[in-house]
Amino acid sequence: MSGTRIPGETRGAAITVIVDGAPVPAFAGETLATAMIAADRTAFRHDTRRVARGLFCNMGSCSECLVTRVADGRRIRACLTEAADGLEVRTDG
Amino acid sequence: MADILDVAIVGGGPAGQAAALHLAGRGLDIAVIDEQPRPGGQILRQPPASFTVPGWLAGRGYARLKHQLARFEALDDIRWLGGCSVLDLAPTMDGLSLLAATPGGISRIRARHVLVATGCQDLAVPLPGWTLPGVMSAGGIQAFVKSQRFIPGERILLAGTHPLQLIVAEQVVRAGGEVAAILFAQPRAGMIATAMRHPLIALRRAPDLAAAASAMATLRRAGVPVRFGAPLHAISGMDRVTGAVTGMGEIACDTVGLCYGFVPQSALPRMAGARMHKAGPAGGWACAHDHWLRSSVVGLSVAGEALGVAGAAAAAAGGAIAGIGIARDLGLFAPEQAERMARPHRHAFDTHRAFAAMLDSIADPTGHLPRPDAETLLCRCEDVSFETICGAIEQGGSANAIKLATRCGMGACQGRNCEPALLRLLGDVGRGDDPGFTARFPARPVAIGDLAESG
Repeated sequence: MSGTRIPGETRGAAITVIVDGAPVPAFAGETLATAMIAADRTAFRHDTRRVARGLFCNMGSCSECLVTRVADGRRIRACLTEAADGLEVRTDG
Repeated sequence: MADILDVAIVGGGPAGQAAALHLAGRGLDIAVIDEQPRPGGQILRQPPASFTVPGWLAGRGYARLKHQLARFEALDDIRWLGGCSVLDLAPTMDGLSLLAATPGGISRIRARHVLVATGCQDLAVPLPGWTLPGVMSAGGIQAFVKSQRFIPGERILLAGTHPLQLIVAEQVVRAGGEVAAILFAQPRAGMIATAMRHPLIALRRAPDLAAAASAMATLRRAGVPVRFGAPLHAISGMDRVTGAVTGMGEIACDTVGLCYGFVPQSALPRMAGARMHKAGPAGGWACAHDHWLRSSVVGLSVAGEALGVAGAAAAAAGGAIAGIGIARDLGLFAPEQAERMARPHRHAFDTHRAFAAMLDSIADPTGHLPRPDAETLLCRCEDVSFETICGAIEQGGSANAIKLATRCGMGACQGRNCEPALLRLLGDVGRGDDPGFTARFPARPVAIGDLAESG
């Protein structure tokens, strides 16, 4: 685990997203970015040298957190995308 | 939606809200567009509706802003377009045209008046190791805490020159997180001396100074070191952050927050062709404006940080001025009436901007920025190294020419991260008058397929 959900507060329903084929627990309302970092998945994409890259600005500006949505192959910003049950993404892009 | 809106406001933060509050209830067709699902802006980035957060942002400094947000959320004649990214802004015959990526696809929005209130972003500061996962902007860490109620690391180091990092650290500590240290690159004596040169300005914003003092006390009680004259040199780790090399020696951490100041999010006025000028010492471009915060493009007004970063209180005052100005241009207020309504907001605007100018001097990163090494990526999107860019600078040429030669600034962030660093390097060799990159479509990343479907 990397990072901590602040205890003593109510989050949305427990859901599961799928990152690189593995189930990652999340709560409704969380962004994909939160779910990924909480599960210690700090690599969001890989650069031209195949080096892992992480989220940087967390406000939609920097595009460092672009992950690939498996359903349609589109690159989406994980910091702006709400986690949805069964949403599947890859970080090899 | 109407064929053409009366007013489109881009940004639901303090400036956008204040403008909307002055325009609402007058029979106008108004939309407020924001990338976040809920209004608030970064300063009041709200938790998701599915969370229950008792005592959210209870600090005194947030009270007025929260009051305005509640009034905004109670408006029933404003269309809220959350989760929408504006990709393009261009003048037309009868106003302006925006292209937005909405949850339902790409949408063209036309409006007689547009207010750009898009806020600011943290200055991106290239240094060795800054592309390792775990390095974030301080504002990014703060947004996790404020909105997602999540501390994005086990041991967080904050480093930079801007006092906001004290507030971020305090919020992390209060939420139960661990802060390894807070490092100010500049010496403390200089910061205090700058504040002492402007005692009246400081006094008028005493609550903000009290908030910083209270943060210092909280951090001291928690045993978090706050050091001055302690620069960050490099961030270390193999495939993620494991530590930092600093003026205080090696510090173990898994997350680093960079806090060297803020630059305007001004891509949209630049795309629309508005006249711009250099923003504060952190860099970036601010939109030139008149008495009613109208830009040089007819129908385009700007409020908040896109005028130059000055904080939420100045943004709210500016939003009110811009909103009243648009109502005046729409013929809803007589000129004298508009002037009377705007007067208290102009006073607040000037006061808060004076404070912001003082804060700019205190937080000035000039001379305190870390040095990249040859392999450090200046352009994070296109993986262009410091060495490559230095080589291109030696060949001569403008920022645009260097972009063409190296791909620096051609990636998904559209140069937001690399442009300030590139312009500083050009400034170092006497080319400080470079106008920067020509702003290109799209302002935010979008899939070609989505654009094609929009026709």
